[in-house]
Amino acid sequence: MVSEIWTEKYRPKQFIELVGQDDIIQRVESLTNSLNIPHLMFAGPAGTGKSTLALIVVKQLFKQNWKENYLELNASDERGINIVREKVKNFARTKSLGNVPFKVIFLDEADALTPEAQQALRRTMENYSTTCRFILSCNYSSKIIDPIQSRCAIFRFKLLEKKEIEIYLNRIAQAENLTISPEAMEILYEGCEGDCRRATNLLQTTTTISPSVTAELISTVISNAKPKDIKVVLDYALSGDFQKSREKLLDVMLKESISGQDVIKAIQKEIWNLPVEPEIKVRLTEKTGETEFRIVEGSDPFIQLEALLASFVLAGLGK
Amino acid sequence: MNWTEKYRPTSFAEVRGQEEAIKKIKSFIEEFSLGKLTKIRKKSLLLYGPPGTGKTALAHITAKETNAEIFELNASDLRNKEKLKEILRPALEQKPLIKSNKIILVDEVDGITGADWGGVTTLQMLIETTTYPVIMSANDAWSKKLAPLRKKAELVKLKEIPYNVVKDVLIQILKKENLFVNNDILTNIAVKAKGDLRAALNDLQTISKVKDPSSLKLDERNKETDIFNALRTIFKTKTTNEVLGVFDNVNISMDETLLWLEENIFTEYKGQELAKAYDALSKADIFKGRIYKQQYWRFLVYENVFLTYGISAAKKQIRPGFTSYKKPDRILKIWLNNQRTAKKKSIAQKYAHQVHVGQKRALKEFVIIKPIIKSNEKIQKELKLSEEEITYLNKL
Repeated sequence: MVSEIWTEKYRPKQFIELVGQDDIIQRVESLTNSLNIPHLMFAGPAGTGKSTLALIVVKQLFKQNWKENYLELNASDERGINIVREKVKNFARTKSLGNVPFKVIFLDEADALTPEAQQALRRTMENYSTTCRFILSCNYSSKIIDPIQSRCAIFRFKLLEKKEIEIYLNRIAQAENLTISPEAMEILYEGCEGDCRRATNLLQTTTTISPSVTAELISTVISNAKPKDIKVVLDYALSGDFQKSREKLLDVMLKESISGQDVIKAIQKEIWNLPVEPEIKVRLTEKTGETEFRIVEGSDPFIQLEALLASFVLAGLGK
Repeated sequence: MNWTEKYRPTSFAEVRGQEEAIKKIKSFIEEFSLGKLTKIRKKSLLLYGPPGTGKTALAHITAKETNAEIFELNASDLRNKEKLKEILRPALEQKPLIKSNKIILVDEVDGITGADWGGVTTLQMLIETTTYPVIMSANDAWSKKLAPLRKKAELVKLKEIPYNVVKDVLIQILKKENLFVNNDILTNIAVKAKGDLRAALNDLQTISKVKDPSSLKLDERNKETDIFNALRTIFKTKTTNEVLGVFDNVNISMDETLLWLEENIFTEYKGQELAKAYDALSKADIFKGRIYKQQYWRFLVYENVFLTYGISAAKKQIRPGFTSYKKPDRILKIWLNNQRTAKKKSIAQKYAHQVHVGQKRALKEFVIIKPIIKSNEKIQKELKLSEEEITYLNKL
């Protein structure tokens, strides 16, 4: 069955359909054709083709049997490394079907694992190295411990360029009978930040409103998707109402299920639109950066964000 | 008016449940006045026993019944010998105008700590030289630091007041106040008080104001009184080293105290103070994070310092007055929200599985993908959404 969700429907199915990352595709394709791959690590931003490439590799290796020989796990969703190990153990116990002597495990967002969990993962990789190959994906390879890095062939994915996203979106437009104006394409590219999945989702969401995609429509969809209330949170803080600011922050975080890091990202962008002196903008940016660091180090992001809001209260007083 | 004040006993006859102690006190006073010329062995009285058993009340009654004037000293008066002499000189040298006698009362001697420690020696000296009886009170007479005082004092133990006596007192008071409280609740208060009449009175007074007292949980209230006092110490008093131990006797976890502070800093502090206090809280949280990640529990020391001293030291001035502190409700809000968004989560989960992304990312991008799923029944079928999930989507 063909999916109606475009990120699936138009997900590239062969090496040749992929856009961007030309070097990587070439190397991975020749490895795949030799029917023997090492452990692979795909590092790079979201929506640049990591999962897609992994899927193409397994389909190419196992043809119609790919589903039996492929296990997909997401490290940020699995509760603890023990679950991961258990699933890997069960999967790796049986021999692979067909003429490829191993199975493939794709571990998405591997950098969500703590260093300790990664040590355990490394053991697992060693124990099953004769029967399994791992493809790890992560945003930052620096968050993966060295022993794992040294066991993998590493591929660094770049953000997609405008022309690459354009090729891809036009492919969808043609198949779906859409018209995308050049201005709309421009805004779509800016709104997706080089993330092809996001671009595709934005496009499909827009077409639920109208099949002719205009710049205006796209802008509406994008601004709806932004956590806009962050501005309100900061306005309360600047006006000195800490309590309201804090309440609103919790409200936004809960309603939109966004993490502390997402909030920090939004605040950092919002600082430039605030009605404060340039000198204070610099200071607030420094505080914001410090807060992001503390969120990583601490245990409760909300407390760190509250401390940041208290700095905004001060900034509102001109200090 | 506070019932513990209003119904404080004013004569030996009114004191309940301490008959033996009263006998001892009476004979001490007698001996003291007789023995003024001879040499008596012990010239002071140490009343000891758990809180709320009537120590201070008995001291005051003793003064009243012997027609004496009470002269009260506190721990910080004892810190400095010179200062003490100055305070005491009029008391020791001048005869009181009307009343013929004096009693020196040093309340809660086991509370003498830290900088006031030297006070114990001063107190010893005072007992040696004074011509007036000294009455001291303490919760625990047997602590090590009180050893030198024990030798100089007649020890009088106050017992925990039996629960039936407590209950009887409560009933008498209710009669005077023209109030009615259900018998079970009275028994409950009396038992929970564990011999502390003051606590029982406070509980009774609070409960008498509630329309449906049967729903009230006394344990919970007692617990919160502790955290309220701790918060008051941090926010409202001068920062001393003692603030470091402010949570030692609070019967809630460190994680919970952190939330209490978080919820209440902004009702006490403004501007610069606010920023400093939250900065201290943020640092406490960093150490908490390090404890979790590295299981290195010594960091707890630092977490505690920032939570207590750090937040206390953020204030520029001391603001007296009463502040009512709020119970933290962030965790509850998060829980409620999770209940509300359970459907959203399950939809995101199904979607995530179908399109090879993590659930967390699907949840984060829910605003964008929601219209896609909502507007297309084929997709809803593809994701195998349940009736409820579809209803939820359509309501959004």
